[in-house]
Amino acid sequence: MRKKVFSVLLCAAMATSMLAGCGDNSEPASNGGTTDDANANNDAAGGSDDADADDAAGGSDDAAGGGAAGKKFALVTKSAGNPYNEKEAEGFEDVINSLGGECIIKHPVAATADAQVSEIQSLISQGVDSICVAANDENALQAALEDAMAAGIKVSCLDSKTNAASRMTFANQAGTTEIGQALMDAVYDIAGGEGEWAILSATSQATNQNAWIEAMKSIMESDSKYANLNLVEVAYGDDEPQKSTDQTQALLSKYPNLKVICAPTTVGIAAAAKVLQDQSSSVKLTGLGLPSEMAAYIGDDDAHSCPYMFLWNPIDVGRLGAYISAALVDGTITGAAGETFTAAGMDNSEYTIVDAGDGGTEVILGAPFKFDPSNIGDWKDVY
Amino acid sequence: MEKKSVWKKITSSRETSLVIVLLVLVALISIKNPSFLGMQNILEILKNNSVIMIMALGMLCVLLIGGIDISITSSLAFAGMTVGMLFKNGVIHSTLLGFVIAMAIGAVCGLVTGLIIAKGNVTPIIATMGFMYIYRGFAYLVANSQWAGADALGDFKNFALESYLGLGFLNNVLFIVLICYIVFFVILKWTKFGRNIYAVGSNAEAAQISGINVARVKLSVYTMMGFLAGLCGALAVTIYASAQPNMQQGKEMDVIAACVIGGVSMNGGRGSVGGALLGALILSVIAKALPLVGIDALAQNTVKGFIIIVVIVLNVVTQRMMDKSNLERREM
Amino acid sequence: MAGKSGRTIEATPQDVWKKRIFSWEGMLVVLFLFINIFCRCISPNYTVANVLREMPKYLSEIFLLLPMAYILMLGEIDISVGSTVCLAATVACMATNANVPFVGVILITILTGAVCGMVNGFILLKFPELPSMIVTLGTQIVFRGIAEIMLGSGGSVSVTNTAGFRALSGEIGPFPYVFFLVLICGAIFVVLSVKTTFGRSLYAIGSNSRTSFYSGIKVGKIRFLVFTLMGTFAGIAALFLTSELYGANTTTGNGFEMDAIAMAVFGGISTAGGKGKMIGGLISAFIIVCLRIGLGQINMNPQVVLIILGALLICAVLIPNISAGLGLKKRKKI
Repeated sequence: MRKKVFSVLLCAAMATSMLAGCGDNSEPASNGGTTDDANANNDAAGGSDDADADDAAGGSDDAAGGGAAGKKFALVTKSAGNPYNEKEAEGFEDVINSLGGECIIKHPVAATADAQVSEIQSLISQGVDSICVAANDENALQAALEDAMAAGIKVSCLDSKTNAASRMTFANQAGTTEIGQALMDAVYDIAGGEGEWAILSATSQATNQNAWIEAMKSIMESDSKYANLNLVEVAYGDDEPQKSTDQTQALLSKYPNLKVICAPTTVGIAAAAKVLQDQSSSVKLTGLGLPSEMAAYIGDDDAHSCPYMFLWNPIDVGRLGAYISAALVDGTITGAAGETFTAAGMDNSEYTIVDAGDGGTEVILGAPFKFDPSNIGDWKDVY
Repeated sequence: MEKKSVWKKITSSRETSLVIVLLVLVALISIKNPSFLGMQNILEILKNNSVIMIMALGMLCVLLIGGIDISITSSLAFAGMTVGMLFKNGVIHSTLLGFVIAMAIGAVCGLVTGLIIAKGNVTPIIATMGFMYIYRGFAYLVANSQWAGADALGDFKNFALESYLGLGFLNNVLFIVLICYIVFFVILKWTKFGRNIYAVGSNAEAAQISGINVARVKLSVYTMMGFLAGLCGALAVTIYASAQPNMQQGKEMDVIAACVIGGVSMNGGRGSVGGALLGALILSVIAKALPLVGIDALAQNTVKGFIIIVVIVLNVVTQRMMDKSNLERREM
Repeated sequence: MAGKSGRTIEATPQDVWKKRIFSWEGMLVVLFLFINIFCRCISPNYTVANVLREMPKYLSEIFLLLPMAYILMLGEIDISVGSTVCLAATVACMATNANVPFVGVILITILTGAVCGMVNGFILLKFPELPSMIVTLGTQIVFRGIAEIMLGSGGSVSVTNTAGFRALSGEIGPFPYVFFLVLICGAIFVVLSVKTTFGRSLYAIGSNSRTSFYSGIKVGKIRFLVFTLMGTFAGIAALFLTSELYGANTTTGNGFEMDAIAMAVFGGISTAGGKGKMIGGLISAFIIVCLRIGLGQINMNPQVVLIILGALLICAVLIPNISAGLGLKKRKKI
């Protein structure tokens, strides 16, 4: 009997100590800490390239104490351990803190809809005022988000949208067609107007990547300018370095006349860039990637595999998401097309909600940003 | 004595059947795509799968003593991520130091796992399942939502491109793979420690009674596994020039599959370095070939799983046939 | 053969072990209460209503725990269940979208799961030399692969007519239907394992399948049956998971197998076979679910939650072993 009690006590004591210890650990991840870094980095970059970014950090402070004070704003990102998601979270947190609201960041344990559902349910329990989610699956969050809306929570998306029924509006990093157009023009330009090219995507169900690939395909068909470009294959690297490497090597040996690979995903583009650069291949690369991961591969000469690529500022995506959440909570907007709201200190301070073409609405941040050898050095330390 | 030679024959013929499977696979693939047999392609296969090939050696020993370790890719990520972050933050600059740190972290991870299993009598799959979560969590905490990309890794990423260890003929990574295989071949074949591993796996009770310190053998085997996982952590970072906290997640199953395909018994006591090598090679060839022979991207996983099942079933069937013919011979 | 004799060393102090197992369930109940009090203390939102509302998503994993416990008792393992859930959920969504009546959808989904389980069972029946881990590793890839092919290039399907699934996720008072179903199924599984010949033969096979075979237990048949049961329940889990997601994609059910195994092991069911009690697995499942909900509500880093679960898992086995070891030493002194 005594032994029984002993083991219960031991187990309990252990659990308590562990929880207490870890509780402290998780604190800086969700509050403060990282936010300061974001500001510092932003300032550094803003000075050299983007003067407005500087204002963003300063300007948002003036807006403190609006209708958001005392409210709880939550962000559910795609997954933990990904710098891109972390930068979005930084931007989101930055704005919410400056507005005087309480910010909760949830990084799901894996990049799946299952994991996000648990996080959303937990947020409903906590009685938050708004949830902003970067959806891992367009449809699978519907039930959870409907629950949230039924509980009076304002639901919006950023980065990657859910279906129209389960969101009020969506902070879109850049229009799908614009991204498709930018990538298509890059392929056209790098290939010299003709030849074979291939796409290396993330997983087969990645919502954003699929939308961009569709956009590229339809642009290619609709404009005779691209008639001489031949898309030979869409390969999936599952956002794993090893599989992406395998797939890139397979593309190279299958299509000896390949000219360009377009990889609209961060892991894929870095893996492909490494393969091409190591082999000193004549095949060139473009796509969407994080400057910090791609800095070593971007250059105009033959020693570098990627002449230029695109992305948007994930910190700004997070900021826009935060402003949308705040505007939804204080009633400035309801998520209907045509409404406008101000995002004090963003690039263009007034944003208009537009029709997203899927039955829902969206707010578009701006055009994708081009990273080339001239500016990569300034951005590689920012995100 | 006679029994032993029969047993040896079985293992050697087991490997011959694997060699045949491998050759048939390669032949089929190269009919479809002749470039498959190119020198560059073969080197790419080996390099891209060196992590699996090295860890298969450690897993071989773990399986030989009747254990299992599913925490390996987590300790790999922990070690690799730590080294990546050390380079990123400019704490270390030397490639050698990077490897030493990774191997040390891996060995400590393995030691802890081994202690829990050998001294705490926890079933291996449970202990390593727990550590799978724990070490992976550590990798995420170390990473703190960052990756260490090519730019941050400096000279470290060039290690996988150069061949100074292999005296200019053999890529550094492949040289390490080769050394690992030679070392393990020697250990398992000609050392007392190697024989102890087989003894513990065949019958732990008998081994204990005959004076082998079973707990110590277990401890060393898991530490060795951890050491290799740490080494692979550093290798993975240099091969892909990128450290991410979720790297190689789920690949522990590939490593186990490689061993089992190579004829290593999951009950312990049976298996060889050659088998592990062949198993790893078969898996690598499959992974490499699927996109090459023009199988639709969406169907690749199904085909891969199907081939794995077919290969292990074939293994069993040939084994049965061999047993039968052995029995017939003995009856005569 | 070889590994089996290794096990007897650890299990020599039979009587001590028995006592430990008897106490383990009692301890789990205490721990369950403790965890609930603890969660209530750390999170003001940890109320009955909130916990019950968050629970259904986790409850679908408990459906997997039940037969998984049987499989572990047999000394086997099934790591293909997550993929089976994925495939069955995909089938459920596609059947609904093809305007199959909802009863039909339920049947088709469960049948899909059962067929997957049968495939595992059949391979293991025909090739008993193969370790179940490696067979189910192969089918894990294949089942998810088939779902990937079915889902096509979008990789995701959503239910257009959600009426049936909405009804399925209904509630009686604050209690969702699935809660009662889990309890009923749990009770059936507990009774089956304790009171029937089937249950006793599970333990017998797990302890020593060869002896069981010679003493007339149909080892192959029972193994086949249990794996089919596992698949069937994966189908049920898929059904309820779909009622939480209204859709399926290629990552659905990822990692469910490990969660189910962890729950069983924490409940004292040994992966070496032949040991543990169903009821322990059930209590531990609720402990883990409550802990996850509680820690989720204070927004703890999910990786840290996993570290805690991993440590708990190891300690759940380590502590009884150590105290058993201590007990053994004391007895020797006397």
